Amino acid sequence: MSNLPMGRIAEEPASRSSLFAVAFAFLFTLAPHMLHLPLWVSLFSLFAVGWRVAQELGRVPALPRWLLVPMVLFGGIGVFAQYWTITGRDPGLALLTVMASFKFLESRSHRDILILIFLCYFLLATHFLFGQSIGIALYMLAALAVITSALIAIHQRDDRLPWSNRLKISARMIALALPIMGLLFLLVPRIPGPLWGLTQEQRGGVTGLGETMRPGDISSLIQSNEVAFRVDFDGPIPPQSKLYWRGPVMVRFDGREWKQARHFALRELDIEALGEPVSYTMTLEPHGKNWLLGLDIPISVPEEPESYLSSEYQLTAEHAVNDLVRFPVRSLLDYRLGRNESFDYLLLASQFPNRYNPRTIALGQRWAREIDDPWQIVQKGLQMFRQQAFVYTLNPPLLGENSSDEFLFETRKGFCENYAGSYALLMRAAGIPARIVTGYQGGEVNEVGNYLIVRQSDAHAWVEVWLEDRGWVRIDPTAAVSPDRIEGGLDQALDDSQALFRFGRRNPVLSQLLFRWDSLQYGWNKWILQYNQERQMSLMRRLGLGIRGWGDLVLTLVIALSALVGLYIAIALWRGRPAPRPAEERALQALLRRLERSGHPRHPSEDLRAYLQRLRKEGIEDAELKYLLETWQRLRYGRDDPEQRLRQQWIQRARRWRPRRS
Amino acid sequence: MALLTRLLPPPLRRRIDRWIAERHPRRREALVIDQRHLYILPTRFGYLFALMLVALLLAAINYQNSMAYVMTFTLTAIGILSLWQTHRNLLGLRIELLRPEPVFAGDALTLPFQLDNPGPQPRYAVGMQYGQLPPEYAGIEKGGKARIELRLPTKRRGRFRPQGVILFTRYPTGLFHAWSWMRFEVDLWVYPRPRADRKLVDQWIEDGDGQALSDTTDGDDFAGLREHQPGESLRHISWKAYAQGRGMLTKTFQGHASPALWIDYRDMQADSVEGRLSQMAALVLAAEKAGRHYGLRLPGIELEQDQGPAQRERCLQALAEFQQADPGAELPLNEDSGA
Repeated sequence: MSNLPMGRIAEEPASRSSLFAVAFAFLFTLAPHMLHLPLWVSLFSLFAVGWRVAQELGRVPALPRWLLVPMVLFGGIGVFAQYWTITGRDPGLALLTVMASFKFLESRSHRDILILIFLCYFLLATHFLFGQSIGIALYMLAALAVITSALIAIHQRDDRLPWSNRLKISARMIALALPIMGLLFLLVPRIPGPLWGLTQEQRGGVTGLGETMRPGDISSLIQSNEVAFRVDFDGPIPPQSKLYWRGPVMVRFDGREWKQARHFALRELDIEALGEPVSYTMTLEPHGKNWLLGLDIPISVPEEPESYLSSEYQLTAEHAVNDLVRFPVRSLLDYRLGRNESFDYLLLASQFPNRYNPRTIALGQRWAREIDDPWQIVQKGLQMFRQQAFVYTLNPPLLGENSSDEFLFETRKGFCENYAGSYALLMRAAGIPARIVTGYQGGEVNEVGNYLIVRQSDAHAWVEVWLEDRGWVRIDPTAAVSPDRIEGGLDQALDDSQALFRFGRRNPVLSQLLFRWDSLQYGWNKWILQYNQERQMSLMRRLGLGIRGWGDLVLTLVIALSALVGLYIAIALWRGRPAPRPAEERALQALLRRLERSGHPRHPSEDLRAYLQRLRKEGIEDAELKYLLETWQRLRYGRDDPEQRLRQQWIQRARRWRPRRS
Repeated sequence: MALLTRLLPPPLRRRIDRWIAERHPRRREALVIDQRHLYILPTRFGYLFALMLVALLLAAINYQNSMAYVMTFTLTAIGILSLWQTHRNLLGLRIELLRPEPVFAGDALTLPFQLDNPGPQPRYAVGMQYGQLPPEYAGIEKGGKARIELRLPTKRRGRFRPQGVILFTRYPTGLFHAWSWMRFEVDLWVYPRPRADRKLVDQWIEDGDGQALSDTTDGDDFAGLREHQPGESLRHISWKAYAQGRGMLTKTFQGHASPALWIDYRDMQADSVEGRLSQMAALVLAAEKAGRHYGLRLPGIELEQDQGPAQRERCLQALAEFQQADPGAELPLNEDSGA
């Protein structure tokens, strides 16, 4: 008697509805992954689910086991052949998908379905390695409802119920779960990660600045409206023309391509401040590369993520930025930089191969001969851009081997990287050390949230030249051609046809909506994605409940959870308070009362049958009454559960019945 | 869990069974599941689920991935809600054991339960299990009722009682197993399987002492009134009843044409006790079918001559219980279940 019926339930064959439910849940969970899974993995998972469902419907036979084992092996080998590894995000996901598909093919019992549901939950969790946007969060909730509805299908044990029934039950469950989740999210003590070493992988497919700069790189980036980062300033937002966001610095030039030098951590700041530093907080979208970005010349290094300031004043993280990061920085906007720059570095910043761009080099060398003052040479270069018929365009003509020559002397149509690259080469040829800085320029102020949004379309490249008395000085040749680009942002610099894709921002209503949406995303990033130990503690301080340590948090959590679940139970109890008697019983009582009023009360000891007989003896012959009283037995105590229809009908007829006046 | 209880040493198991018996005394009337008699524990799947949550939490911490936290905590919340909802799926349920029909030894005895759901939400997959027999399930709409019939195998005659029945559920998520025990006080009658050759029966019933009894309008003893059929003699109409406004009723009388039978243990021809009881059971059925009056004589017991379903039942019960070593034992007996 003390045996509980537990073990054997798992062995039962899976019900049809639970199989279909888990098939749907699996495909629903997998669907967004199909965009980045290898095609054969996606196709195989579709095949596996399709076959198993067809098998359930009796269209195809079950695959024999001797076939499954080699197929599993080939699946594993296939994944390995695809990636040459089975660890890491993408191979791991492919392997999980392949194995879950096999599990599908051979699923039979209750237990198999439960395992598949576990796999679905894991598969769902892998989505967050690819992104954590609001959209993905909503998809996760929908997928959780679908997977949980499969779980309910198994345990409901009724194939006749429609799928909408269990989806409703599971959606209600998720809705009830959300407040509990909120409490857990806020109050479970956060531990700073990582707990163990993460495998570092450079992830492809993320937009952002490149490691090198070639003509065309940035103009393709500029087509993307994606957010690169958002910035909260502690004080007022500096004017647009001051917003140069420093990214990779390129000092090596092979005649065609600009590249970064090897990174060295800065030993000592070589900067003379001419103004107050600006403090702000960056929220950087993942871009898969090592650099963080900073305004102009950053002079502080955040603790999290682990990072350093390079000798080129580039804020650099130890690991690739694969997740959203948020960090505070201080920067100088007025400064004198690098007057003690090393000779080796200046040498590097002066080199150029002679093989390419002979006309550009010749022009630079001529300036060097004619003009003594380096500052005059710098100005001369800018004047050239200003005075000649240079055009700023997103779609520059294709350039050949001697790209600077062609650009400066023939096409004269180009984008920022053309201007920066050619200008830097000119300066080097004229004997002035120069380097390219890539990054972003400007940004859009979101009035709704009072923060700055910098998009990929704000990507920019400019030049820094080194002068003995001034150190590194920023020169933006693009500004010489198209001051609007710097003052007003890209939209104003380009003509309408090119900027059409940002139409939305010119429409006041739409732009307000877009700002609100961005504000929401920013809040999401700030409060949900970047909620960590530090934020948790600062939130608790702000709440002022005196919650200080771990223990306080846990205690608060337990109290709040009990209160919430208690509330749920109280509501349920209230809804379940002693129900009125069943409708048919009330209808019967009303009918008996009417009979009593008509002068034929029922004796307490009489059952309905005896009462009916007596009524007949007393001269009440009524077919309807006979039907009602005789059917009552069947309705209430019948052997087979009466249909709902019969019951409803009975209730209606009982309510209508009136004793005949004799 | 089942494994756990199987591993327990027998004395401990007996103690647990005693504890259960004390907490859940046998009862005749309907039973409403209350908090005190409803138990809940995680299932194996539930423990696995918890393990998965720990794994997800570690991943969330390690990758500092907020969405992984959100998912882990949502699933945790689902777990907490499951505990409550699984418990709620049984709480307040009203269970009544309807009268089980007696059977002949060897036939399956059905325990018909009626489940009433007074709650505001439907209940799904409410299971009942009897001993080691396969469980039966039912879903009950809100305010509705359902029936679960448990069929117990029987082997030998006797008066028995049901074992404790486990009422359980895993709905909605299978993470938890809620259950209660129910012990009902009801007699389960297993009659001796009737076994007798035709000759014996014929000899007793037909060759015996004349025609069968029948209701007739001729005869000596007034037996009752029945509805008047067209074509019947008006001589037998009860005019008194007609005067009372009860309609045309015909008086019936019973002809006592043949003497009553005695079905006597000593007259049986089988060697064994069981054989004799089986023969007697067959004769009871035959006599009842033939409409004869009959009485029963067992060593030390005599049942007056009579007829009708009540008499039949009385006689078969006496046969079932005759010299039973363990009246009131729980079905199925150990020798039946093979456990």
